[in-house]
Amino acid sequence: MDPSWTKPGSFARFRSRSEPDVPASLLDRRLVIVTGKGGTGKSTVAAALALAAATAGRRVLVAEVGPDEHVPPLLRPAGGLVERVGYEGRELRKGLRAMRIDPYEALAEYLSLQIGLRGILRRVLANRAFRQLMDASPGWRELITLGKIWHLESLREAGGTPRFDLIVVDAPATGHGLTFLDVPRVVGSAVRAGPLRRHAGWVESLIRDPERTLLLPVSLAEELPARETTELVERLRDHVAIAVDRVVVNAATEAPFPRGAEDLDARLARLPAELAIPGAPPPAALAACAAHLRARWALNRRWIGEIAAATRLPVVVLPRLPRGVRGPEELAQLAERLLAPGVSGAAA
Amino acid sequence: MSAAADPLELVRTRRILVCVGTGGVGKTTLAASLALEGARLGRRSAVLTIDPARRLADALGVRELGNQPTQLPRERLAALGVPAEGSLSALMLDMKRTFDDLVARFADSEAARERILGNRIYQHVSDALAGSAEYSAMEKVFELSERDDLDLIVVDTPPSQHALDFLDAPRRLLEFLDSRLVHVLLHPAFAAGRVGFRVFQRGTERVLRVIERISGMAFLEDISEFLLAFEGMSEGFRERARRVEARLTGQEAAFVLAAGPARVSVRHALELLERLGTAGVPLAGVVVNRVHRWPGPGPTPDCVPEPGCEAAAQAALAAALAEPGLDASAAARAALAAADGYAAWVRADAEATAELTARVERAGGFVRRVPELAGDVHDLEGLLRVAEWLFEAQEAA
Repeated sequence: MDPSWTKPGSFARFRSRSEPDVPASLLDRRLVIVTGKGGTGKSTVAAALALAAATAGRRVLVAEVGPDEHVPPLLRPAGGLVERVGYEGRELRKGLRAMRIDPYEALAEYLSLQIGLRGILRRVLANRAFRQLMDASPGWRELITLGKIWHLESLREAGGTPRFDLIVVDAPATGHGLTFLDVPRVVGSAVRAGPLRRHAGWVESLIRDPERTLLLPVSLAEELPARETTELVERLRDHVAIAVDRVVVNAATEAPFPRGAEDLDARLARLPAELAIPGAPPPAALAACAAHLRARWALNRRWIGEIAAATRLPVVVLPRLPRGVRGPEELAQLAERLLAPGVSGAAA
Repeated sequence: MSAAADPLELVRTRRILVCVGTGGVGKTTLAASLALEGARLGRRSAVLTIDPARRLADALGVRELGNQPTQLPRERLAALGVPAEGSLSALMLDMKRTFDDLVARFADSEAARERILGNRIYQHVSDALAGSAEYSAMEKVFELSERDDLDLIVVDTPPSQHALDFLDAPRRLLEFLDSRLVHVLLHPAFAAGRVGFRVFQRGTERVLRVIERISGMAFLEDISEFLLAFEGMSEGFRERARRVEARLTGQEAAFVLAAGPARVSVRHALELLERLGTAGVPLAGVVVNRVHRWPGPGPTPDCVPEPGCEAAAQAALAAALAEPGLDASAAARAALAAADGYAAWVRADAEATAELTARVERAGGFVRRVPELAGDVHDLEGLLRVAEWLFEAQEAA
């Protein structure tokens, strides 16, 4: 690790150098919680943001919540082995650490910090009845996971600088995502007293602090994800009160045809069927491909506009990459767009 | 699982079809298509949706949450080829109400019912917290399957990566109700907050001490009160959870996995497949939605135009497209690039889905690929277009 990073003030230097873009850079927060409907590329965006932050010299932790590890395979160097990062986490590249928060491991850690009775604790955690109670009890997984994130945020080096400049959380899909973030409040109202209630309060004040925490919704420019994203933003504003200042639209098709040839598919369809094009399929097939591309583009454009109008937030549009996102190379392309200062509204 | 079950066989013979898969892979569309086909075969079918696209919800007549199936108009169905004896109903699950209904069903008195519905633990358990979506969907399927006016129930599971919680829900509830800790908490003195932990066995005592240290005694008392109120009905719940599980893993039910062709979506599907296997759930097959198909003729090219033909192809196409005021060579380049990009999608889909489809086929399941149809599927006619791909025999991809 670069020793200069442990010096106080180095973080501020980066801050002052960053573009005065509106809204403030994603890198200025302590905690960015990436959420979105399943299949929107949430993990991809979380990985791209983490990579961008590490490239900019920040010390980043990307934490996944959920049973599977989706981020590490995206961040491994080409041809590198995918090793599980687990609860302990692993440094995937300079300044970039990845982990997966397992609720039972976080619970064990929490209880040992709280109670310290390690011997008894081990037996309690292995107790069948305890497991059954925990398996059946809702809410604690979310709470303990957020508690772990709170703890990671509070970690400091000897000199007082944060252990991590930025923590990126790959949160559960939105259906569960908001529930996930609302649990500290729910616990606060369900549990009347005790350390649990106090700790839930700490977690809540972190995630509701707009200076430190930002929710980053990821959507696709299609009906279902667009609608869910809009509802998410509305609920955030009305109920959950967590800062959100932009929406990411992932995998959007970009303007496909040159000016003056916007109807290229129709033009191709009008060509004589027998026209021979060396090394290329006949006009009908070309027309079908072009029509598909245009339809996707029109659909994407429409829903980007709807998201922007309904949420009244800037929309960051990430392109659909021709070969998909396989590793750091594609992530870097997305990262550049993710941090670009000019955040577009209803992209043309 | 009978090895020969294909989608048509399923909608013709089964009573419950469960569509599983992560979000955003066309699960609702799949569920609605299966139910419509059942109706077209003359069965009285119902689709239970969790989170439909608004226009599809409109098309199905379930814009609002409702807990009872609403039949689609006879004329509308007749136009779609549904015979007189067939019907199609739809409902959008109201989770909270399903849970409340269940309490009402099993509570042994009005007072018990009110006590449970008013308990703060119950409110949190049943309301916002994760897990109840799965449980109530499960419960609703069972309730519908008990009715004698429905032949086929197709269910769209909650949209998330937690699709298997759906299966686990009754088992978890049962284990919990059977656990010793629950019996301890059911001790009436406990609810009154006047019991020493020492009366319990050592393991239980330790657990209680840990919980007390963290959450405070009041929380345990609330739980205890909840469980006490619940006790009168727990036998009913238990019996029901057992029957739900038996029915969903029995002969008359089948699970269909929905997946998307993107690599990340296939990875999620593979993980789900693995967990289904571990859980002993009989999977009938997989439907890969929104697959890119090469419009032909011939196999998907590796690149368009073929290497060495770039200049000639562009020139020929530009000449054919030429028109005053048009940059014909730019248009030709764009057309060739569009075809090249599309071919890349087709190849990427085939590559990404190969392992998934091979694994399902090895296990004796069916594989269906539904091409990306122009635009979203948002009406009943769209469902028929999907059905063509689901129910006709398919050539190899």
